[in-house]
Amino acid sequence: MTANSPKMSAKKVNVFYGENHALKDISLDINPNQVTALIGPSGCGKSTFLRCLNRMNDTIDICRVEGTITLDNQNINDKALDVVQLRARVGMVFQNPNPFPKSVYDNIAYGPRLHGIAKNKNDLDDIVQSSLKKAGLWNEVHDRLDVSGTSLSGGQQQRLCIARTIAIEPEVILMDEPCSALDPIATAIIEELIEDLKTRYAIVIVTHSMQQAARISQKTAFFHLGKLMEMGDTTTIFTNPRHEKTKDYITGRYG
Amino acid sequence: MPNSHIVSSFGEDIKNLRQKIVEMAKLVQEQFNNAEKALVERDLKLASSVKDRDAIVDQIEQEIEQKAIELIATRSPMADDLREIISAIKICNALERIGDYAKNLSKRVPVINEEKQFVANTTVISQMISIINDMTEDVIDAYNTKDADKAISVWTRDLAVDNLYDSFFRELLTHMMENPRSITSATHLLFIAKNVERAGDHLTNIAEIIYYIIEGRTIEMVRPKGDLSNETSF
Repeated sequence: MTANSPKMSAKKVNVFYGENHALKDISLDINPNQVTALIGPSGCGKSTFLRCLNRMNDTIDICRVEGTITLDNQNINDKALDVVQLRARVGMVFQNPNPFPKSVYDNIAYGPRLHGIAKNKNDLDDIVQSSLKKAGLWNEVHDRLDVSGTSLSGGQQQRLCIARTIAIEPEVILMDEPCSALDPIATAIIEELIEDLKTRYAIVIVTHSMQQAARISQKTAFFHLGKLMEMGDTTTIFTNPRHEKTKDYITGRYG
Repeated sequence: MPNSHIVSSFGEDIKNLRQKIVEMAKLVQEQFNNAEKALVERDLKLASSVKDRDAIVDQIEQEIEQKAIELIATRSPMADDLREIISAIKICNALERIGDYAKNLSKRVPVINEEKQFVANTTVISQMISIINDMTEDVIDAYNTKDADKAISVWTRDLAVDNLYDSFFRELLTHMMENPRSITSATHLLFIAKNVERAGDHLTNIAEIIYYIIEGRTIEMVRPKGDLSNETSF
């Protein structure tokens, strides 16, 4: 892999929910060490596309995915590929924080245990500590690792979920509106964290906040009615979009 | 016409901001024409009124800046809205400078009027201001109708102002060398001509900004330059 080649690459991806053609010929690249924002009105297919990147759509019976999506040039839609391994490499953070009803410690330790990453208890302790530090949560919870994850504040819970995701050392992190349930301070902390995480991972984020996309991403992709209307440098998209539909959406006009 | 904003009050705000810019541009245009009239007709009362009315120009500039800052803070504008609002700040600053030149011209009218020894012909200044008037007219039109070609036409027309300034500069130098008693009035006229020439430069800047609002990129050409007076010597 060279530094310039994309971490993930979608080519002519089509998704159907039964009769509904939800994504149409989506081709786009996800670069390493960059934040790629997916924006667009509700129902445009951005979350569906995000879920294609770690095959979360597999869990939906009527969902059919066509086309190729590669991770380091390997087709992830290959039926022989171990989906659990894929999801370890491509982690996901959801809209509503969803910690396990377990202790803070066990929330983080769950993945490393499952994947057999830690050799012993000391190893596991190290992973829990470093993951919480990377997620900017360590200082707030280091003396109460045994309390339930669900007892933390919303912003803390979301950072706990991010810590849980990075504990198994993924290569790509998918985030589906990670700040929509958070207040501005908690949002700022997550955004600061994303800035830091991008030095190690490729990040793809779905957001409804234009300002958030503008603040944190380097590339922005605008989806509309299941199509990728426009993708480009974030600064270009938000100052001089090529497509009329993009402009109408980001400036709050009728589409 | 582009689609309207879902939040209609935002669309109204931008419309009002644009109307303020047009109002300010028309006022500055009127100021310049009145200053010219005051100079040619030695009308001290008119000159004094131009001087006083500059405060209104400054007032509108402040209103536009204030409104633009409010819109950035409250609406988080994007794309063409963002270009529109940032450009409004830049255009009103340029118009304010042009207004200052008109005021400066009017302040020199009494001094030139007092001058009994010698006063050079002011026809060239009138010619320059006539072009400035046309440029302002077209810049307002380009802004109102979002006409990028018209903006470019204003941008290229500044050459004529530069050339007139250049020849007037030489003419005044000749007068001053031949007749040292002409130096006082000639110097004032030279400052006036220089200010009119600067007004032309600001109008070309405004034309560039309008082009940017419309196209989202800057004009990619080299503007014809005519002012060679800084290289002129005798």
